[in-house]
Amino acid sequence: MRTLAPLGRVTGTLLLTAFLVVALAIAVQGAFQTRASIADTFSRQSSVQAAQLALEELLRLQIVEENALRGYSLTHDSFYVDQYLTAAAAYDSRIGFIRATLAPERLVRVEQLLTEYVRIQSQWRDEVATPLLRHPNDRLAELDKRNKLFSDYETRIVAAIRSELAAANEAFARSTQSQLERTAYVRAFWLLLFGLLAILFNGYRTRLYRELEEERTTTETLQRAFQSESVPLPNCEVGTAYRSASSHLAVGGDVFDVHLLSDSLALLLIADVSGKGIDAAVLTAFIKFTIRGIALRHRDPSAILAEFNTAFSRAVKDPYLFVSMFVGVLDTRTFAFSYASAGHDSAFVRRSDGVQQLAVTGPVLGVMEEPFGTETIDLRPGDALVLTTDGLTEARNRAGNLLGDAGAMRLIERSARDAQALADDLVAQVRSIVGNRLRDDLAILVVRVNQGAGPNA
Amino acid sequence: MRSAVPAMLALLLAVALAGPASAQCKLHRGDVVVLYSSAEDPDVLVWDSRFRLRDYYAASFDEARQLLPHALLARSGTRAEIESCIPDFVQPGLLNPLADAVGIVIIAGPHRDQRGWVLGTDLRRRRH
Repeated sequence: MRTLAPLGRVTGTLLLTAFLVVALAIAVQGAFQTRASIADTFSRQSSVQAAQLALEELLRLQIVEENALRGYSLTHDSFYVDQYLTAAAAYDSRIGFIRATLAPERLVRVEQLLTEYVRIQSQWRDEVATPLLRHPNDRLAELDKRNKLFSDYETRIVAAIRSELAAANEAFARSTQSQLERTAYVRAFWLLLFGLLAILFNGYRTRLYRELEEERTTTETLQRAFQSESVPLPNCEVGTAYRSASSHLAVGGDVFDVHLLSDSLALLLIADVSGKGIDAAVLTAFIKFTIRGIALRHRDPSAILAEFNTAFSRAVKDPYLFVSMFVGVLDTRTFAFSYASAGHDSAFVRRSDGVQQLAVTGPVLGVMEEPFGTETIDLRPGDALVLTTDGLTEARNRAGNLLGDAGAMRLIERSARDAQALADDLVAQVRSIVGNRLRDDLAILVVRVNQGAGPNA
Repeated sequence: MRSAVPAMLALLLAVALAGPASAQCKLHRGDVVVLYSSAEDPDVLVWDSRFRLRDYYAASFDEARQLLPHALLARSGTRAEIESCIPDFVQPGLLNPLADAVGIVIIAGPHRDQRGWVLGTDLRRRRH
């Protein structure tokens, strides 16, 4: 099955997220634009409708003017003069309003008609209204005829203006309708796009999760192979602790192993690979199983280290990779402990009278083909071998001060007696020193000879 | 029989070429009507010629003014009798349908016995 590379995952997720964000931004911007456009059309349509209403009002005022004139010609009552003047003033005001309202719309034909309307109304005032107001009894018949002419013509002009405004209003209504329809299509498009993106995103996320889950399963399987192991030993307690500097990994570059070579002989191993993380952890599995294999043929720790050194140099081509390793063979009947140390100086023995550091007997592995020495010590009941990695001795406090060998020995001395409690104590103390954040992997293997056990037990 | 064929063909041709039925006047000679304009001013201009009647509605304002001496203004409600009618003769404004030009004689009021032409839409039948 094809899987996504980590970079591909990040890029894919970022791309999808970016695409979603961009699509969302475009959709929002489009929605605002559409809203503004529709609002603008509505506003323009409202202007035209306001002009339509004002036009009807204008026509009413024109009729009021004419009726007031008729009233005056029949009654000579000045009331009608006032009514005429008021209507005339209102008429002029309404004309101004209509023109101002329609000016932004640039309705040229309406403007021409309005100009004509005003001209004729003005002429009507000059030729019909004013003479009649001055001499109400003169030539009434002639004035009436002219009045009819003006009236007819104005009616025609108003009808034409009405028609033009109705057409403009209709155009705006059609435009609004078309914008609404377009908005509906656009919404449907964005909805479809978001839906597709969401499905794509979900599918992508599901695939990522599935791959991560598969990776986790693989990692757990590998971890079981890489993990340091210990088995119970006759007449001894075994305590172990392992803390990886990588918080999300249970494996690192440190490894320990307790492996029974026979009924009474136990292989003890602790090693520290330069580097951290998965690459170092893979090497620890190689170390653990290779040393076990070599130890089946050689019981001398120095021989084990020497053979491993050769195998390691051939297997690992990286000239910068090296391993510090401590290998010991414990006779669980006599408690004789022979060991060889390839540059691994964090191995100690705690006795009733104090803590002793076990000597380094050769260089680190993977650097040169040097002979390794073997040392042998006798353990007594209650003595404890404390094999650690440099995560203990190189622990630094917040001020940057190194714990060092002496500090490590002090911690070991004042730690609990039992093997597991001792290992746990050391971890806790290192944590308190470094502020709960390990800079290096830390492995601890404690083998304590039981208090009641004696040689040949 | 042979002579009937061309006649039949001519009849068929005539039927085929015939357009829709020509427009009919709603008012007829002898009808008594009342003058009442449907325009804003209900008085009615009575024209001395049906062509001037037509021109009045086709003309600009200034042209219409020039025609005005050829019309008399009859008060709304003036009675008249139909003398003739020409259907769909006048276009009274761009938006209105064609109107009939109707020849009338005024039978009451200050313009009694005056003859002239008015729009068919400016006439109302009297209801007895």
